[in-house]
Amino acid sequence: MIIAERKPIERILQMIEPYQKIAVLGCRGCVAICSAGGDREVETLASALRLARKKQGKPLETIEETYVRQCDPEYLKPLAELKEKVEAVVSLACGVGVNLCADLYPDLKIYPGVDTTFYGANPALGEWEEKCRGCGDCIIDLTGGICPIARCAKNLLNGPCGGSQNGKCEINPDTPCVWQEVYDRLKARGELDRLTKIWPAKNWIPAGYGGPRRRVRPDLQINNKKA
Amino acid sequence: MSKMKLCVLCCHYTNEAMPEELADIPAEIHIKRFPCSGRIEVVDILRAFEDDAEGVLVAGCERNSCHNRTGSLRAAKRVEAARELLKEIGFNPQVVQMAFVPRLDTGAFIEEVKKLFEIILKTKS
Ligand code: SF4
Ligand code: SF4
Repeated sequence: MIIAERKPIERILQMIEPYQKIAVLGCRGCVAICSAGGDREVETLASALRLARKKQGKPLETIEETYVRQCDPEYLKPLAELKEKVEAVVSLACGVGVNLCADLYPDLKIYPGVDTTFYGANPALGEWEEKCRGCGDCIIDLTGGICPIARCAKNLLNGPCGGSQNGKCEINPDTPCVWQEVYDRLKARGELDRLTKIWPAKNWIPAGYGGPRRRVRPDLQINNKKA
Repeated sequence: MSKMKLCVLCCHYTNEAMPEELADIPAEIHIKRFPCSGRIEVVDILRAFEDDAEGVLVAGCERNSCHNRTGSLRAAKRVEAARELLKEIGFNPQVVQMAFVPRLDTGAFIEEVKKLFEIILKTKS
């Protein structure tokens, strides 16, 4: 899922400084699951903002809402009504949600309440770890299912750097060296020969270096441009 | 000067203290009981401050005596999270206190409320 983290409250207070009435808008998708922008975080942030503004002598009124998904126009229809009731919206969806709200309602003053950080897994309660960077051309068939792009500090594609020490990465003794992990995994699977083959240079265009990415499935489209 | 307002969030089993039993403390004390202290959320603590409380006490059962095993330990973590948030918006984090009290021991409970009263007095001086 997409992982996000609440922005410092001071930063959010700066964004909403001119307003007396705002909506704090959560999303029940990824950000709810990673406990950054679901119902609970919406009510907590709204309360903290009201409290901070009360302390400043500039009371703030809030409407608290959470949509099923902010990255899907279907669920953003109620925003047309909500935006008439407030001066601005602080969205706790990931950047995708905030962008789409801004695209669909250009007159809406919408501000991000979270920083969108990575695609991660939830290995234990209250912990999230980066696992993939959405490079668009997955190569982990070659590495035992372990991603060296997301999990190597230098995104190395051809083995560990000189900073790999006792299975750990030089950036931090708690961070495993992903290339050590790849090696151990392939060795256990009897597939070490994968590492002796020369891989073709990776194509980075699908990683976004060819501009914003788009995916189309014509069989699902309702109004196909070309019939 | 208006009376100091304090709010106590606790579970039904932490205590059954009646308002009269807290009459010695020169503060307006609101008690809000939950099915378990583990059910107390950060927002419940923040809302107490929005309702003009100057101090909040979260009281849970002593470690190992919680009906739901770890409810009061969870409450203690929520208190820490609330303190972090309050710090972010310029409050003294001491305005929220956590207490583990023996189940249904009103005396120990009242002592904790008194302690909170003293702490808040100090933060105000
Ligand atoms: S808006 Fe973002 S957080 Fe919400 S469901 Fe969509 S991708 Fe996930
Ligand atoms: S190789 Fe690319 S798509 Fe595959 S896991 Fe790594 S970043 Fe994600």
